[in-house]
Amino acid sequence: MSGALGPFLLKRLALSLLTLWLLSVVVFFGCQVLPGDPARAILGPLADPRAVAALNEKLGSDRPPVEIYLSWMGGLITGDMGQSYAYRSPVAPFIGSALVNSLKLAATVFAIVVPLGIGAGVLAALRAGRPIDRLISVAGLSLTVIPEFVSSIALILVFAVLLRWLPLSASWPAGSGPLVQLQHLILPALPLVIVLFGYIARMTRAGMVEALSADYTRTAILKGLPWRTVLSRHVLRNALLPTITVIAAQMGYALGGLVVVESLFRYQGIGSLVLGAARAKDFAMLQAGILTVGAFFVVTTLLADIVTTLLDPRLRTGGRR
Amino acid sequence: MSEALPLTEPAPGLAREARTRGVVGRLLRTPSFLIGITILLFWAVCAVFAPSFVPYDPYADDLLNTLQPPSAEHWFGTDQIGRDVFSRVLVGARAILTIAPLATLVGTVAGTAIGLITGYFGGWVDAIIGRLLEVMLSLPLIIVALLVLVALGPSTPTVVVVVGLVFAPLVARTVRAAVLTERHLDYVAAAAVRGESAPYIMSVEILPNITPPIIVEGTVRLGYAIFTIASLSFLGFGVQPPTPDWGLAIAENYGVLIGGFWWTVVFDTAATASLIVGVNLAAESLQRALAE
Amino acid sequence: MSKLIGFVNKWRQGASELENGVVDQFLLGQLDRRAFFRHGSRIGLSAAVMAGVLQGAGFAPIGRAFAQGKSGGTIRVAQITPSGAIEPVSVADQGGLLPLALAGDFLALDGPDLVLRPMLATSWKPNEDGSVWTFTLRPGVKFHDGRTMTADDVVASIDRLADPANGSNALSAFKGVLSKGGTTKVDDLTVKFTLDAPNGNFPYYVSSDNYNAIILPADYKGDFEKNFNGTGPFKIETYTPKVGATFVRNPDYWAGPALADKVEISFYAEQQPQVLAVLGGQIDLVQQIVAQGSQSLFDNPAVKILRLKSNAHRQIHMKNKGAFADKRVRQAVALTLDRPAIIKGLFKGMADPGNDSPFAPVFPSTDTSVPQRVKDIAKAKELMAAAGAEKGFEVTLTTMQMQELPTIASLIRNSAGEIGIKVNLKIEDVGAYYGDAVPGKSDWLDSEFGITDYGHRGTPNVFLAAPLLSTGTWNSAEFKNPEYDKLVASYIAALDPAAQKAQAGAIQRLLLDETPVIFPYFYDYLTATSSKLTGVEGTAMGQMFLHKAGFV
Repeated sequence: MSGALGPFLLKRLALSLLTLWLLSVVVFFGCQVLPGDPARAILGPLADPRAVAALNEKLGSDRPPVEIYLSWMGGLITGDMGQSYAYRSPVAPFIGSALVNSLKLAATVFAIVVPLGIGAGVLAALRAGRPIDRLISVAGLSLTVIPEFVSSIALILVFAVLLRWLPLSASWPAGSGPLVQLQHLILPALPLVIVLFGYIARMTRAGMVEALSADYTRTAILKGLPWRTVLSRHVLRNALLPTITVIAAQMGYALGGLVVVESLFRYQGIGSLVLGAARAKDFAMLQAGILTVGAFFVVTTLLADIVTTLLDPRLRTGGRR
Repeated sequence: MSEALPLTEPAPGLAREARTRGVVGRLLRTPSFLIGITILLFWAVCAVFAPSFVPYDPYADDLLNTLQPPSAEHWFGTDQIGRDVFSRVLVGARAILTIAPLATLVGTVAGTAIGLITGYFGGWVDAIIGRLLEVMLSLPLIIVALLVLVALGPSTPTVVVVVGLVFAPLVARTVRAAVLTERHLDYVAAAAVRGESAPYIMSVEILPNITPPIIVEGTVRLGYAIFTIASLSFLGFGVQPPTPDWGLAIAENYGVLIGGFWWTVVFDTAATASLIVGVNLAAESLQRALAE
Repeated sequence: MSKLIGFVNKWRQGASELENGVVDQFLLGQLDRRAFFRHGSRIGLSAAVMAGVLQGAGFAPIGRAFAQGKSGGTIRVAQITPSGAIEPVSVADQGGLLPLALAGDFLALDGPDLVLRPMLATSWKPNEDGSVWTFTLRPGVKFHDGRTMTADDVVASIDRLADPANGSNALSAFKGVLSKGGTTKVDDLTVKFTLDAPNGNFPYYVSSDNYNAIILPADYKGDFEKNFNGTGPFKIETYTPKVGATFVRNPDYWAGPALADKVEISFYAEQQPQVLAVLGGQIDLVQQIVAQGSQSLFDNPAVKILRLKSNAHRQIHMKNKGAFADKRVRQAVALTLDRPAIIKGLFKGMADPGNDSPFAPVFPSTDTSVPQRVKDIAKAKELMAAAGAEKGFEVTLTTMQMQELPTIASLIRNSAGEIGIKVNLKIEDVGAYYGDAVPGKSDWLDSEFGITDYGHRGTPNVFLAAPLLSTGTWNSAEFKNPEYDKLVASYIAALDPAAQKAQAGAIQRLLLDETPVIFPYFYDYLTATSSKLTGVEGTAMGQMFLHKAGFV
C-alpha cells in the first residue's frame, strides 16, 4: 500500500469514531425525553408506585442520567454492551441475533439486487437510447420511489395470498434449514430489491456510458482487442467504481430501512429491536442497537471509500475528497 | 458546471426569466413530465374537491355492512367498520398532499439556511455543523423520525416538523456544495468589499443564484416526503385515525388481508404508488430540464 | 348416592353459618348451579361436598367432559413474545403467563367458569368475618429440583409479593388486602393469611387469578429464567429469550405426569403469523387470537376455537368536570353507542354488551335485572338539551395504538357526532398514553375523554376500586361519589352471595346513572387449537394449563 493511503484511512477512521460517539450522546439525551421509565415499562401502568420505585432501584435505572451514561460508556470501552432492563441479562446476545437476522435479510436482498441491477444497467448502456434503455430507466425510477410497505402488500397479495407460493411471515419455524429460511426471506427481501434496483441500474448505466466513450476504451478498440475483453477489462472495471460506492452506501440504508419490512413481515431484526427498546425504555438495548446500525453504516461507507481508493489511485492524492 | 456565467451579465433578472421560459417550454415537451404532472394534478383535485363529490361520507361507519366486496353500491367495497373504500381513497389524497409539501417546505428552508451558513463561513462552523449532520445521516431517516415521534407523540404539526428536520441535512449538503462554487466568484467578493453584512450576502447575493439546485432538491424531497410520511402513517406515527389516509388504511386492514379482503388495501396501495411515481417523474424531468 | 347425601347432611351439622347459608341459597333457587360452585369454592366448600349437594338436589355432577387425549407427543404452542424477562414476581405481560403456568402452580386454580379448584392448597376456610383465611397445603409436592414444598415456601412466595421492596407486580392487587407479614406459617402444611380488611373473595387473590402468585422455593433469588424451578407439570428444557422455550413432562408431578411428552413454545411478535401457522399445521395451539383478523380460522374444520367468557374490557372515561361535568351529558354519550352492532361488526358476536359498570355478565354476583342501556339518539339529544349543551362541544378523545382501540375511537367520533359533539382523536403509542401513570404525567389519567384497556380478573374488585373510588389511583374520570365508595366497601366485605348480589345491583344502578365510565363490551377470550388437540384448559387471563392436553 502506498504511503498516502495510511494517513487517509486513519483520518477517516478517527472521524467515524467521532461520529459514533456523538451519535451515542445524541441518542442518550434523546432517551431522556421518552415518556415513562424502565420499571414502569416492565410492571405496566397498573403497578403500585412503590413497586416501580423498588424495581427501578434494583435495575439501577434510578441513578442520575449522566452516571448511567458514564458507566455504560465505561463498559463499552471494555467490550461490555451493558445489561438490558427488560430482559435483565446482557444486551450483546440480543444485538447479535438481531444483527444476524438483519444481515441474512440484507444478504438475500443484495444477492438478488446486485446482479440484477448491474445487469440491467450494463444492458441499458449498451443499448443506450433504444426502447430497452428507456424501459429500464423508467422502471428503475418508478420502482425506486415506491415505499416498501406498498410493494410488500402487492407482493404479499400475489405470492402469499393469491398464489400461495411463498410464506407470508419472515419468521421461520425454529430449527429450519437454510433452504426453508431462504424461502421465508425471499418475500421480505423483494420490496428492498425493488427500492434498490433503480439506484444500482442507474449508477451502472451512467458509469458504463462514461467508460464506453472514454479514451482508453477507444484506444483498446483501436488496438484491435476483442470486444469482450474490452468490455470486461476496461469498461466494466471503470464503470463499476461509482456503483460499488452506491451499493456500500445502500447497505447501511438497507439495514435500518428494514424497519418497515421487519414490521410487515414480523421479522426480529435490528430495526424492530431498536423500536421495541425505545418503547420499553430499555436504555442499553436502545443505545447498542442504534450504535450497531450507525457503526454498520459508518463501516460500509468506510469500506466503500477504501475500495474506491484502491481501484482509483487518482483519489489517493485526495483532490476530490 | 461550465455554464456559470449568466451571473456576470448586467441584468441577471432578465436572463433568469428567459431561462425559466426555456425550461417550461422544454418541460411541456417531455412526456414523462406530462404524465407525472397529470397524476399529481388528479390527486390534487381529489385532495381539494373529493369531499364534495364522493358517493359516501368517508367517515360514516356501517357496522352491519363490514368488509363487503366491491359492488355497484360500493365500487371499492367497504372496510372493517363498513366505511366506503372508494370515498376514503379519493379523500385520502388530502392528508398526504397537505403534510408532505409542508414538511418539504420546512426541510428545504431549514436545509438551505444551514447550507448557506456552513458553505459561506466554512472553517470550524462548517466542521462542527458538518459533523452533526453526518451523525444524523448515519442513521436511517425513518428510525430517527420514529424515535422522535415515539417521544413526542404523533400529531400533524409534529410530523411536519420532524420529517422536515430529518430532511434538512440532505438539503443542507446540496446547498452547501452550491454555495462553495459561488462564494469565490467575483460578485460575492465585490459585495464583501462594499461592506455588506454576511446575512445580506447570503440571502440577497448568493441565494438567487443557487435557486435551481434548491428547486430540484425540493422536488426530489417532496417525493421522499410522501414516501416517508406514508411509511410513518403505515407504522402508526403519521396521519391519525379516523382521517382517510392511504398508509393508515393499509395498516388498519393489513390484519384482515389473509382472510381474502384484498379490496381494503389494494386501492390504497395503488393510490400511494401512483402519487409517488407521478411526483418523481415530474421531479426527474424538472431536474433534467434545469440541467440542460 | 344416599350415602353421599347423608355425608352432606352430616357435614352441614359441623359447617359454619356462612357455609350453610350458601347451600341454603342454592337449594332455595337463589343461586344457580354455576354461581353455587363459584361461591362454594370461594368459601372453601370441597368438591365432594358440593357434588353431594348437587346430587341431593338432582343435578348432574361437575366436570367438563372432553375426549381423553393419548399420552405422548409434542404440543407446539404459539404465543406473543414476552416483553421482558419471565420473572414471576414482576411479570405483567401476557407473554410470560403461559410459561409460568407450565412450570409453576398456584394455591388454587381459577377455572374458566370462575370456580376455584384446589391446586397446591387442598382446602381453605375463612374466619367468621372473612378477615383471616386458613389454607391447608397438599402434602408431598416436589419442586423440579427435588425439594419438597412446605408452608415456608408458600409464606415466602406470597410475602415476597406483598413486600413493597421487591418491585412486585402483585403489590397493587394486594393493596388494602394483604400486607407484608400478613402471611404466616401455622404448621408445615397450614398457612394463615391475616388480611388488612375483611374480604369475601380473598382466595382469588392467591389463585391463578393473581398470575404472579406461583409458589417458588423460599430461597428464590429472582433468577427464574435460569431453571424455571416450580412445582408445575412441565420442566424447562431450553429457553431462548425472544425466540421460544421447550418444556418436558415432569414425571413427579403431584397430579400424575402430563399426557404430552413435550411442549414447544414459539414466540411471535404479532397475531397474523400465528393464525397462519395454525392454519398451516405448524402449530397446535395459539394462546390468544383476537376476533379482528381471525376470520379465516372461524369456519375452518382443521381448527377449533376455544371461547372463554371473560370480563376483559375497554373503559371509556369522561372526566367529571368541564364539558362532561353534567351527568346528563355523560349519559347522552353512552346512549349514542350501538353496542349490539359493535359486537357483531367488530367481534363477530364474540363479546357481551357492557352496561356501563364493571359487572360483566360472567360475574355471578352481577344483578342481571338492571336494564341494559341501548342506543337512543332522541333521548340523548333531550339529555344534551336539558344539560344546556344542545349546541354540542368539541373534545379530544385520547387512546392508544392497540388492537381495536383506534377503531372504537373512530366509531365514538361518529356516534357522538350524532348529538353534536365534535370529537378529535389522539392516538398514541402505548407507553406515551400511560406515561408515568401518575396524574399530571399521564395522558391516561389526565385526558378528559379516553379509552383504556383492562384485562380479565376473577372478581370485579379491582375494577370497582382503582378506576372509580374517590381515592382510586387509576381514576381517570375523577369520579368522586361517597355513596359509591360506601357501596363498594360493603360489596368487598360481603361474604354472603345474596348480600354481594344486592350490593352489586345498587352499584350497577348508581354507575348507570352517573356514567363516569362507559363499559361498551366485555370480549371473549379466544384460543385456537388444532382439531386434533384436546384437553386444553385456559383461563381468560391468558394462562394455559396443558397437564391434561393430548392428541386424539
